[in-house]
Amino acid sequence: MRNIGRLIYRYHIFLVFLVLQLIAFALLVKNNNYQESVFINTSNHLIGSLYEKRAAFSDYLKLSDFNDELSAENAQLKSKQLENFMDLENGTIVVNDTLFVQRYEYLPAKVINNSVNTRNNYITLNKGSVTGVKPEMGVVANGAMVGIIKDVSKHFSSVMPIINPNFTASIKLKKGNDFGMLAWKDKDPRYAQVLEIPKHANVQIGDSVITTGFSSFFPEGLLVGTIAEIDAPEGENFYNIRLLLKTDFYKLSYVKVVSNLMKEEQLNLENEEQP
Amino acid sequence: MINPIFRNIIRILFFILLQGLVVNRLDLFQGMVLPSVYIFALLMLPLETPRLLLLFIGFVVGMSVDAFTNTLGMHTSACVLLAFVQPALLRILAPREGYEFGQNPSIQHLGFSWYLTFAAMATFIHHSALFFVEAFSFDFFGHTLTKVFFSTLATVFLMVLGQYLIFSPDQRKTS
Repeated sequence: MRNIGRLIYRYHIFLVFLVLQLIAFALLVKNNNYQESVFINTSNHLIGSLYEKRAAFSDYLKLSDFNDELSAENAQLKSKQLENFMDLENGTIVVNDTLFVQRYEYLPAKVINNSVNTRNNYITLNKGSVTGVKPEMGVVANGAMVGIIKDVSKHFSSVMPIINPNFTASIKLKKGNDFGMLAWKDKDPRYAQVLEIPKHANVQIGDSVITTGFSSFFPEGLLVGTIAEIDAPEGENFYNIRLLLKTDFYKLSYVKVVSNLMKEEQLNLENEEQP
Repeated sequence: MINPIFRNIIRILFFILLQGLVVNRLDLFQGMVLPSVYIFALLMLPLETPRLLLLFIGFVVGMSVDAFTNTLGMHTSACVLLAFVQPALLRILAPREGYEFGQNPSIQHLGFSWYLTFAAMATFIHHSALFFVEAFSFDFFGHTLTKVFFSTLATVFLMVLGQYLIFSPDQRKTS
């Protein structure tokens, strides 16, 4: 017994080293699981507020860019206002329209941290559960897909962007409506891959790729990107397509979180179908 | 003269913040060069730091850096490895007459070429662990190795620069 004690004492440094390494790897493996909530991450309050301070500083330097962006968006919205449209049918009776029910709601948020150069990229937003952000909500910017909310704390949330290898989404070609999967296998944050588009589909460089609306995260028809390269490997049924993403992850600063008001209803129905 | 323990704690905190808030934002050559300057604080720990304490400091520092990048475990693992091999490295690189009491592993005390060898070896070990754990496979072996090489160059360059920035010229003369 005393010998064992002596042995442990002799190698105690190495044993402690092994234990700490094991803890590190356990954390690594656990944290890689999608949807696994971990307390030490960027939605943590301390780190989140540090990031927010830095963002406040660097945003000040970028004010003129933001102004340009906002005025461009304003102009676009102005052109859609009702008074800019001609009334074609005079004399119609105004009724309280119950044909349309709001399905998606948008919540503006600010990017306070954003990584583009690592293999597992994440974005941190300055909105959290207090303002109604929940995990598995979609995130869009300027009418283009950005990612999905992963973790939420009281005042912050972290987003898994398209440029994370764990991210997938169903998409389709705007022309022809062929369905496929979006994945990120490049190390380049400007591009992503489109998988499972069958070879009989008519695909051309420059075609737009949009969301399907099958998943409950994003509304249908949201722009994802344009096709940059097409490769048809021998002996396979699908194209290899390289997609130029619409979202510029290098410049991301303001985004909108999409909440699907009918998500529960859709999921409940879909779950009922399965025996 | 500030207490050396207090000074080391301040230095570690400063470098974690520097790494998390500034250096991680650098995007050099599409992520090929990603310096981890915070290990400067680990390498500056006094020669007589107990090995057990060194391991725990490495663990805590790694965790803190990981918290900034959502990569819990990655920097932790690399730092614990660095803390484990650091005393062995120091022993290999010891001058013939051994270290004198009160010496720091710095250019000021042990000279430029000694520091360069020490920093390069330590950084290379840390970066190899870091980037191979990040890739979690040997699939992109060439790519990862290039990343290790160039990031090590960048980190060592910044650390040598840091050595000259931290120590004022008159302090250096006393070596």
